[in-house]
Amino acid sequence: MNRNNIWIHITLAVVMITLAAVIGQIDRWRAALSHRPVHPATTARRAPVLSVRDQELADAEVIVRFKPGVSLSEMRTIAATKNDRVVDEDESVPGLAFIDDLDNADPAGDAADYAAMSDVVLYAEPNQIIQLDDPAAGARSFDVDQNEYDANLPNDPQFGDQWSLNNQGQNGGKEHADIDALKAWTKTRGSADVVVAVLDSGVDYKHIDLRANMWTRPDSVPQYQDDELGSFDDFHGFDIGDRIGDPMDDNGHGTHCAGIIGAEADNSEGIAGINWKVKIMPLKFLGRGGYGTTKAAIEAINYAIDRKKNGVNIRVMNASWGSTSGSKALEDAIRAAGDAGILFVAAAGNNSTDNDKRPHYPSNYDLPNVVSVAALDRNDAITSFSNFGAKTVHIAAPGKDIPSTWLNDQYREASGTSMAAPHVSGVAALIVAEYPNISVAKLREKLLRSVDKLDSLSGKVSSGGRLNAAKAVSQ
Amino acid sequence: MSFTKETAAEAARSDLASRLGLGNGEVKVVSVDETEFTDMSLGAAASGEMAAQMMTSGWKIKLNAQERNYEYRADKYQLRLHNFKGKNYVIAS
Repeated sequence: MNRNNIWIHITLAVVMITLAAVIGQIDRWRAALSHRPVHPATTARRAPVLSVRDQELADAEVIVRFKPGVSLSEMRTIAATKNDRVVDEDESVPGLAFIDDLDNADPAGDAADYAAMSDVVLYAEPNQIIQLDDPAAGARSFDVDQNEYDANLPNDPQFGDQWSLNNQGQNGGKEHADIDALKAWTKTRGSADVVVAVLDSGVDYKHIDLRANMWTRPDSVPQYQDDELGSFDDFHGFDIGDRIGDPMDDNGHGTHCAGIIGAEADNSEGIAGINWKVKIMPLKFLGRGGYGTTKAAIEAINYAIDRKKNGVNIRVMNASWGSTSGSKALEDAIRAAGDAGILFVAAAGNNSTDNDKRPHYPSNYDLPNVVSVAALDRNDAITSFSNFGAKTVHIAAPGKDIPSTWLNDQYREASGTSMAAPHVSGVAALIVAEYPNISVAKLREKLLRSVDKLDSLSGKVSSGGRLNAAKAVSQ
Repeated sequence: MSFTKETAAEAARSDLASRLGLGNGEVKVVSVDETEFTDMSLGAAASGEMAAQMMTSGWKIKLNAQERNYEYRADKYQLRLHNFKGKNYVIAS
């Protein structure tokens, strides 16, 4: 080989190497631009070979969460109208479907089309492709969180109507005008160690959606003994009015409040309570008509304090009742409850009036364990009936058209600050589940400092905001 | 005791007649309107009474006797006299 041939070969080799490098770079650019997973052969870490099912899921451009009650065949019909195909339905998350767009249109646009079907769809989003070896994938917290979020959607068939827990804009509501329960449930779903006393018309403790979360007196706690009233077998709680140990509800109001706080969730029945697990202690002092005496209310509070001192972990009392008549004795009883470590959550009242000027009790008692609650509608507006007060009403919560449990295994929508208060009581119980040793003062502070500030509440409630369960259990 | 619209109106008429010392025929039912009350005392809480703060469907019963108007309020569980000489009264429950 002469010197000229050597240079020719070297030149050819350089050209070929350069050409190969350019072709390789073009391939990498093509792969990057196509948003497709890098071929396994080109990665340092070999990805698993896709099964037929995995390949179908990878082909799915859109992930759609249909509302409870939409069957698989209905999902297929809906998809077919868009020339799409349901590739798979997720068994662990009811209503979640992976959809392949046969037209291969823009996934974001396709997802938006599904999201617009708000009567049947909870949400829709493009199917994000995450590469196993992409270190940035783990940082895409939205994808990870979304999966976690989905896992917290309960399968209760009426959950889609519970706008106060998850407002998707259903029935003319405003998206996210809710207490952000789904996000809160990624942190805690409550605890059977936390007892919430419901001072009300009793509770239907046999209700199919409540009975698992009803308190019963453990053997370690003695029967209730009252110097004046005598001894009662308070296995299910206490009926102060009739002075018996059976707090069965004969009105429905107490059962409704109890369901908001702690209807059993993810049991394929009815609704979901704010607490999937909790113990509801019914204290009946309101009669069949939904009203009762101040004295009976005091006796009910005293009962709860006694049970607390006997080891029952009562941390919250819900008081969805009131009047414009004040009582020093009632105020003292509520103060004693606070001294015993019990938060007292009270309805602000339904007279559309300013509690700063025209007090409503017990919500107006200026005590460190009292939280007064106004009512919001599904658009984050204060309801026409709700009382307010820049100084004396502390927080607002959903209180209009609230579905919950009713007598005899029934369900019903109801409105009132009666319905707003148990939202706050329920979130208070969630906080206690997460922070079991929290003081009453800190518990109250957490509730009021974690609100979503709303213009509609400026000058109406002292915190200026709506209850937010997710922030309350996280901050 | 359970009420219907009709039985509530009749019970109100009897109560007012008795209260005023009149015969039932001297009390006239002006109107019976379905309405939504602000709470379970039907917006007519008696002294020292606490009521559930839930919007409640019922009837507003307007009566007239001796050229004066009176208002009763009722739902299926109760009958109340509203603002009679400045006070509210539970008539039946």
